[in-house]
Amino acid sequence: MDNLTPRSSWNAALLLARFELKKILFSTRGMIGLATFALAWALLLWYPIRQASIYLFSPDFKQLLEGVFGAANVGELLSWDVAEMAVLWVAALYLFPIFSLFVGADQFASDKARGSFRFLTLRVSRTTLFFGRVTGYLLIQAILLILTLVATLLLVAYRDTSLVWAAMGSGVLVFINIMIVLAPFTAMMAILSLRANSARQASIYAVLFLAGSTIVNGIISYYLPGLSNILQWLVPGAQLDMMINTKGLSSLAVAAIPLLQAGVLLLLGRSYMARIAL
Amino acid sequence: MKLITCKALSKQFGSKRALNDVNLELSAGEPIALVGPNGAGKTTLFSLLCGYIRPTEGAVEILGYAPGSPALLGKVSALPQDARLDPNLIIATQLELFAQLQGFSAAAARQECQRVLALVGLPEVAPQKPSSLSHGMSKRVSIAQALIGSPELVLLDEPTAGLDPANAKAIRELVRGQVGKTTFVISSHNLAELEKLCDKVLYLDKGILNQSISIQDDLADEYLTLTMQSCDDTALTAALEALPQVLSVKSSQSKEFVIHYQITASFALETELFALFNRQDWRYRALQRGRTLEDKLFSQA
Repeated sequence: MDNLTPRSSWNAALLLARFELKKILFSTRGMIGLATFALAWALLLWYPIRQASIYLFSPDFKQLLEGVFGAANVGELLSWDVAEMAVLWVAALYLFPIFSLFVGADQFASDKARGSFRFLTLRVSRTTLFFGRVTGYLLIQAILLILTLVATLLLVAYRDTSLVWAAMGSGVLVFINIMIVLAPFTAMMAILSLRANSARQASIYAVLFLAGSTIVNGIISYYLPGLSNILQWLVPGAQLDMMINTKGLSSLAVAAIPLLQAGVLLLLGRSYMARIAL
Repeated sequence: MKLITCKALSKQFGSKRALNDVNLELSAGEPIALVGPNGAGKTTLFSLLCGYIRPTEGAVEILGYAPGSPALLGKVSALPQDARLDPNLIIATQLELFAQLQGFSAAAARQECQRVLALVGLPEVAPQKPSSLSHGMSKRVSIAQALIGSPELVLLDEPTAGLDPANAKAIRELVRGQVGKTTFVISSHNLAELEKLCDKVLYLDKGILNQSISIQDDLADEYLTLTMQSCDDTALTAALEALPQVLSVKSSQSKEFVIHYQITASFALETELFALFNRQDWRYRALQRGRTLEDKLFSQA
């Protein structure tokens, strides 16, 4: 058709991202994944997070935590305005990256194995396809995070409606922080998903990489502590421990680490995508 | 501008050289056939043309651009071997995405999806998932995706393999119907099918482009291919060789004879052949001007 104007790369990438979202939200497989996610979070919300409001702000429990972990290690966390949001913060900080290892595992693996890429690369460039898919998976995780935050807000409102505004403010910062944390994990999974023949294999590669790099870095730190201090920042999630005992905008203090990691991983992924045989 | 240009094109997989120094220039127009035995390098050549893999040596250009170039997006399409649609999504959703990526609006993409599915005779499968289709239907849907947006070049890798004769014929008709809008390059083992469809035939063997022949070749007129239903093969060969204008007779397979002859008056040899059949009470099945593609490719005569 002579009058067809090919889409711009941005437009095509957004179309692909929206398509990924639709695929997850409206396919049976995606719905099962969402239901599993919802169930896991329902349990977390109903038990530890709901109970947090009872225990976390009681002076005795605060004293106990400060005694066990040290006031410097939990002081900021205990000063959150809404206890539910503080517990959600700690849970999300570790659980969402773990979810990301599984949610992002099929960014490319299945398509590559069944050859569906061959249909797509005749219509969009490999770079557009790569960034479109990664954006799509970030959008999926953003929706899961928003759903979790909304559910937590409902719990807060159920306990005390006067805390809803404060909780919403915390929620926005939690959202921004967690999305920044997820960026390098999603980019890493994009590369592993390109390498693997199935989503499961990509997740296994991720676990092996994260566990292996921790072990290797542990060994290096024994012999070359200086080198180990540098190498530890190369692994996604390296800054997570530093983020637990933070509050509000101070949580963004280490945002540069995951953003840099994501940038480097995305460039590596784009380069790999351009060279891979389909 | 040439449609496809390959210059000293080679592809190495480990220790195996799948393509070796292929040079060719193809122009837009009639469908082009690519034939060769298994492992000859046909799919490798298709993959290089589509930009799925990169050449080890040499260069390939389509419409003056390297495969995979943004300028070719939507202009080159393919039925890749062994590529399948996503089994979790309905066919319409996937074809509409392809159409939208090629520049169609959402509404136009729906219409285009229906158009291409109708072209392959499967408009009813749009709301179905690929897993519910038979092998042949899946193949036709994959051909439909290649026709989205009427691209300038469509590469079909074994388009009729696994199709029943009626559907294989429908695909041939479909290709014939698109000539003028789209140039097809078709890889197949079915020489009779290619003979009906294509003029130019490329023969690959062990990664080397051995021959490039035209079915409409003028030399074809110096040959007649005779297929008999009942006859004494030895007696027929002897009788044919006794005819003055016959230069040689070769039987490539049972009951099939390729007659190389000196062209004289119109239909003089044909008339003598019919007289011979009548005298001997032999029944013929077909008399074809020229040689079959199989004979052209595999005969040293």
